[in-house]
Amino acid sequence: MALRAAILGHLRVPVQTLTQNGRALQSWNLLNLNRSMSSHDDHLDKQEVIDRVVSVVKSFPKVDPAKVTPEVHFQNDLGLDSLDTVEIVMALEEEFKLEIPDKEADKIDSCKLAVEYIANHPMSS
Amino acid sequence: MAASVPARAEILSLFRSLLRTSKNFSDYNIREYAKRRTIDGFHQNKNLSDPSSISSAFSEGKSQLEVAKRQSIVYSLYAPKSKSVMEMPSL
Repeated sequence: MALRAAILGHLRVPVQTLTQNGRALQSWNLLNLNRSMSSHDDHLDKQEVIDRVVSVVKSFPKVDPAKVTPEVHFQNDLGLDSLDTVEIVMALEEEFKLEIPDKEADKIDSCKLAVEYIANHPMSS
Repeated sequence: MAASVPARAEILSLFRSLLRTSKNFSDYNIREYAKRRTIDGFHQNKNLSDPSSISSAFSEGKSQLEVAKRQSIVYSLYAPKSKSVMEMPSL
């Protein structure tokens, strides 16, 4: 009898842990879902946007990293042309997982405007 | 009949479309080549002043865009099964 009880007890253990694990996993998923849906509300921090924009611009091969400031103008201050500006805006799109329409992208010609656009964009991440 | 000279905004839009299309290639090498070729091609021709050579370069770019769009779809059917070593994050 004692042996039987021990075996039964032993058999039950994995079943119980499995269901517990399943439940824990489910609620964890729910938690995550809620968090990802609420992430639209808490917007990207402006300072974080500035830092990431500056680091993208600095890593552009034709740019002298020492000259890059959050206010820098791509063509007047960095000596880039319109093609380079398009490339930088594309790199920013990639960094913030955005797709900027042509009309808007043509207007972005400085770090300042880029930061403004990205910080106000609801989908930037 | 010569085609009219494309506007600056049209050229930049073609440049942007080519760069966007080049991102769609599934193979690392083709993706990087398409991007490099686009950037080099536009920089090479940025000092063109003759209207006919500008419009012929523009129409060549447009036909290349069609090729890139088509090929990115065709190549996606034969996408490489593993990533290139260049795409590994921590190497």
